[in-house]
Amino acid sequence: MPEPMIRLNRLTQSFEGVTAVDALSLDIAKGEIFGFLGHNGAGKTTTIQMLTTLARPASGTATVAGHDICDDPLEVRRRIGYVPENVRLYDTLTAAENLMFFARLSGVADPKWRVAEVLDLLDCAYLADKRVGGFSKGMRQRVGLAQAILHQPAVLFLDEPTSGLDPMGIKMLRDLVMRLNNEFGMTIFMNTHLISEIAKTCTSIAVLSHGKLVYHDRIEAVTARYGDDAALEELYLSLTPVGRLAEVA
Amino acid sequence: MEAAPSPGWLIARQSARFVLRERTVALLSLMFVVLVLISAWLGWSATSTVNRIYLDAAAFLQKAGQPVPTNPVLDISPLSLMRNMSVYVALIGALSAIVIGNRLIGLDRKAGVLPLIGIRPLGRNAYAGGKIAALTGLILALGAVAGVVAVATFLMLPAITLTGTQWAQLAGFMAITTLYMGIFGLIGLASGAWAKSETVGLLLPVTLWLTLTFILPQLTANLNPTAAINPISALATPPDTSFFHWAAIVLGPVSLADAYKFASAGLLDYLPQGIASPSFNPPVLTLILASCVAAAVAWRALTRLSMTQGDYNV
Repeated sequence: MPEPMIRLNRLTQSFEGVTAVDALSLDIAKGEIFGFLGHNGAGKTTTIQMLTTLARPASGTATVAGHDICDDPLEVRRRIGYVPENVRLYDTLTAAENLMFFARLSGVADPKWRVAEVLDLLDCAYLADKRVGGFSKGMRQRVGLAQAILHQPAVLFLDEPTSGLDPMGIKMLRDLVMRLNNEFGMTIFMNTHLISEIAKTCTSIAVLSHGKLVYHDRIEAVTARYGDDAALEELYLSLTPVGRLAEVA
Repeated sequence: MEAAPSPGWLIARQSARFVLRERTVALLSLMFVVLVLISAWLGWSATSTVNRIYLDAAAFLQKAGQPVPTNPVLDISPLSLMRNMSVYVALIGALSAIVIGNRLIGLDRKAGVLPLIGIRPLGRNAYAGGKIAALTGLILALGAVAGVVAVATFLMLPAITLTGTQWAQLAGFMAITTLYMGIFGLIGLASGAWAKSETVGLLLPVTLWLTLTFILPQLTANLNPTAAINPISALATPPDTSFFHWAAIVLGPVSLADAYKFASAGLLDYLPQGIASPSFNPPVLTLILASCVAAAVAWRALTRLSMTQGDYNV
């Protein structure tokens, strides 16, 4: 059996006595589009922060692309891209200037050429010479995605990528994610709230509630068992505190 | 294909570029350069005026058959012409350095790009080193401008020729000037990295600067704020009281403006005879120790800056 692209082994994080992520263990295979669901404050972003080496776990460990996040953070960073929930860039610089900076920091061999290529790939070459300060949320999200794939990472982490986007923006982002997965074989780890997006995009899902993993399966198994989006939503709600409250009521 | 520079160097280069685009930084740096030019012009103007009057008087006395006294310009060390510069460095130079240091880190925090930098293959030490290197480069540039102005002034004055020792003293003065501004730059950098909000990040070092420039010199050397910004009356013997005795012992080692004034006066030959720094530390040593402490504090603040929660709470 091949080594999973992402392996979490009892990964735990706590803040001021509150456990945000509780002994999370999970394997994600290479080439997956993994949907990570959970209510607000469930620990999804904290998990991404640990996997991207932005924060150290309190205990447990994880490997990304075969490298330990605690022992080998630089090697992990060479192999990952990350798009935060709210993409923030240097507003006074143009999209191309921002991307050049991040490309150089990522050690891209020919940053100028690569920036042009990525902007073309994401159909946003027209943004290259415009200052980021005037960009809409959708435009920022595109440039955010561009900065994440400049160095052709093996794993792409997306934190609520569709948050605040209109339906057009959501579709555009979904198509881009699928394309990156299909054409470049990137493993995608995506935090999301949108149940409908999960069925359309993901190959496997997990549900996190209060820092604990409460569900993990492949999407085929989920859809075979629960069918359409509405049933999937039922499943999600039954696993989260809101759903449990509804059951009690 | 571009050769790949080190991540620390990339951070340094990019940070310096960003800071130079900032209007506040550009304005303060420009003001510093203008004041340095003014201080040089004041020295040049005063010397030229005295020299011209002396030459007229000497011609008149010679014609009248009376003895001609020596040129008063030659009675004082020519280096003392630069004493105004030490005042402008303590005021606008230090303030410019604080703003530069603060903006070097503040720009990343305000832009909210720390997570995007944090996931790049560079260690926290490279990030901290890059920021300190950018600060060092910018402060050296400010010091170099002041140095070029000083050297040009001495080369342009026909009545004045500096000896080898005096050129060395001038170089020493420029070195401690750069060091002094560097201390405040590091304080600005540390505060910018440590503070939760942008306002506190700037207010804290400015308050420290005001304290060091105007309050501590009153306690350690009896220099009132007006005297502190006046190079001629600034250096006087403090009253021989136990208050000043103990203030000098306790506060002397941290009274940086005081140390800079005494070090400058010593190097530029305008320290009045019989007056010495009241602190038990030699002034230059005080400045070196302060720069080491400021560098250590800045390093700690930068390497501990959270890449996930480092954005300003505004």
